[in-house]
Amino acid sequence: MNAIIFYLLSAAAVFSTLMAISRRELIHAVVYLVLSFFSLGLIFFMMGAPLIAALEVLIYAGAIMVLFLFIVMMLEMGAAKIPLTPFWKVWGPAVVIAAVILFSMSLLFLGTPQTPLSPMTAFISPRQFGQALYTKYYLAVEAASLLLLFALVGALYLGKRDNP
Amino acid sequence: MMPPFSYVLVLSAILFGLGVVCVAVRRNLIMILIGVEIIINAAGLAFVAGSLRWNMPDGQIFVLFLAAMAASEVSVGLAMIVYLHRRKKTVNIDHFDEMKG
Amino acid sequence: MNSYIPWLIIIIKAFLILFVTLTLAAYMVLAERKLLARMQDRYGPNRVGPFGLLQPLADVIKLITKEDILPAQADRFIYLIAPGVVAGTVLLTFAVVPFGAPVKIGGVTVQMPVIDLNVGALYFLAMSSLGVYGVALAGWSSGSKYSLFGGIRGSAQMISYELSMGLALVPVVMLTGSFSLNDIVAAQSNVPFVVYSPLAFVIFLVSVAAESRRIPFDLAEAENELVAGYHTEYSGMRFGLFYIGEYVNIIVLSALAVTFYLGGWHGPGPSWLSLFWFFLKAAAIAFFFIWMRATLPRLRYDQLMHLGWKFLVPLSLANVLLTGFLALIFHWRNV
Repeated sequence: MNAIIFYLLSAAAVFSTLMAISRRELIHAVVYLVLSFFSLGLIFFMMGAPLIAALEVLIYAGAIMVLFLFIVMMLEMGAAKIPLTPFWKVWGPAVVIAAVILFSMSLLFLGTPQTPLSPMTAFISPRQFGQALYTKYYLAVEAASLLLLFALVGALYLGKRDNP
Repeated sequence: MMPPFSYVLVLSAILFGLGVVCVAVRRNLIMILIGVEIIINAAGLAFVAGSLRWNMPDGQIFVLFLAAMAASEVSVGLAMIVYLHRRKKTVNIDHFDEMKG
Repeated sequence: MNSYIPWLIIIIKAFLILFVTLTLAAYMVLAERKLLARMQDRYGPNRVGPFGLLQPLADVIKLITKEDILPAQADRFIYLIAPGVVAGTVLLTFAVVPFGAPVKIGGVTVQMPVIDLNVGALYFLAMSSLGVYGVALAGWSSGSKYSLFGGIRGSAQMISYELSMGLALVPVVMLTGSFSLNDIVAAQSNVPFVVYSPLAFVIFLVSVAAESRRIPFDLAEAENELVAGYHTEYSGMRFGLFYIGEYVNIIVLSALAVTFYLGGWHGPGPSWLSLFWFFLKAAAIAFFFIWMRATLPRLRYDQLMHLGWKFLVPLSLANVLLTGFLALIFHWRNV
């Protein structure tokens, strides 16, 4: 049962990501990517990470992608005039390289002994998550907050109107 | 019954590959940032799967840090795109190929 | 045996909630028109049925029979799904609202929410953040300047106020020690959280009013500037979906305000009265929203942003600090 849901969700994620990277219209790409993040969030939920699933939807789909949408709408590049490059010029090599990497990675992953995942044993509740986060990784939390602060300052500086 | 660990890793690898193709191929700056987002998410999937595999919360915590990193990367990246668009009225990466402003 | 019974219960609950919510939303429209009329010294709708009670039915029939227009400039696919996103995300939020005490039917204890997620509060935030897409995409896909401005304004406003809304929930989660809405209600069995953290309640109400994009925060559809904002081009039942979304949103946000701050379904009397208490409290909050609409003028756009970023966000951060401090000193944490 769970396996079927997982395959369905992963098919949805791969398909929507594929659609997202091949759209000319940026808004369509963003919408497909939101679908992809949504299915990834559900996969996270299945894999015993309810908090990360909620954060995936909240942060990626709800904040980051809205930011993209907002910028695209604001700059009015909806109908982007940038042509897709001819297939064999750029797409060809990139797709071939990606396929080679993918093939070798799959061989490596599938060649190792198969360990089935057991969903219930590793269910990590928000409480456990928070405890681990603020005891074991408190320094990393500080570093992340500093990173966000720097990003804020950087974005503010770049966005200033009277930039030289 | 969940699928084996390696299947999840394969899914993560597929998404990663798609993200790399997006970054390598698209000429729109915004699409390149989107490709980076896809890559980060694929990494997050691998982390969550690992967290389930070894029954430790650490993997999930790293996804949180990934999200923080992605958020800051996107905010700075988009601010740069707005800035570049203001200067050159385009987001085509081929138009940013000279070192002088 | 009986492995299918939990599924059956969930499906029945989902359908019941969907039906009740949509009916309530329709009558919410009527209640608002009536109340607004009374506050403005008018009668309001009173022609269809006794006291105008059949007016919602007439409205629905009218909306369904109207032509569904697709503008030539529109982006077809996105234009068609955007109203569904608005109504759908709001309806999905109802899945986690506990609107009554658990009841026992034939030896099976039935919890009131459709699902009791252990990240319920975050689920609510996630759904409301997805609601932004409905507004932004509707505005963009209509292919009209007014709609685009409405969409940009609406999405900026909703992102801004989501922050203060989320931060206003932090004291609640701190005092409960859980994201689950059932736990949050259970923790308020004696004293509702509004007593512990009144400031959070006020911030939540203001943010929620902004999140639902109604007067005084209806910048996204300000009719004297933007015709009707992001849903200018919509007609027929697709326009109706925006309408349903707006009114279901009021209901769900009132219900959540009750759940988070006013003790949920707890009240004096036997447990079967819990539905009544919940409904009464939620109706009071909904009345407050309608009252606000009748009373307050619309904010200017810069005032809206200033209120959100320079006042509510710092205030709610300070409130988180204050509540944490007091909770530590007085040992408030009841889990």
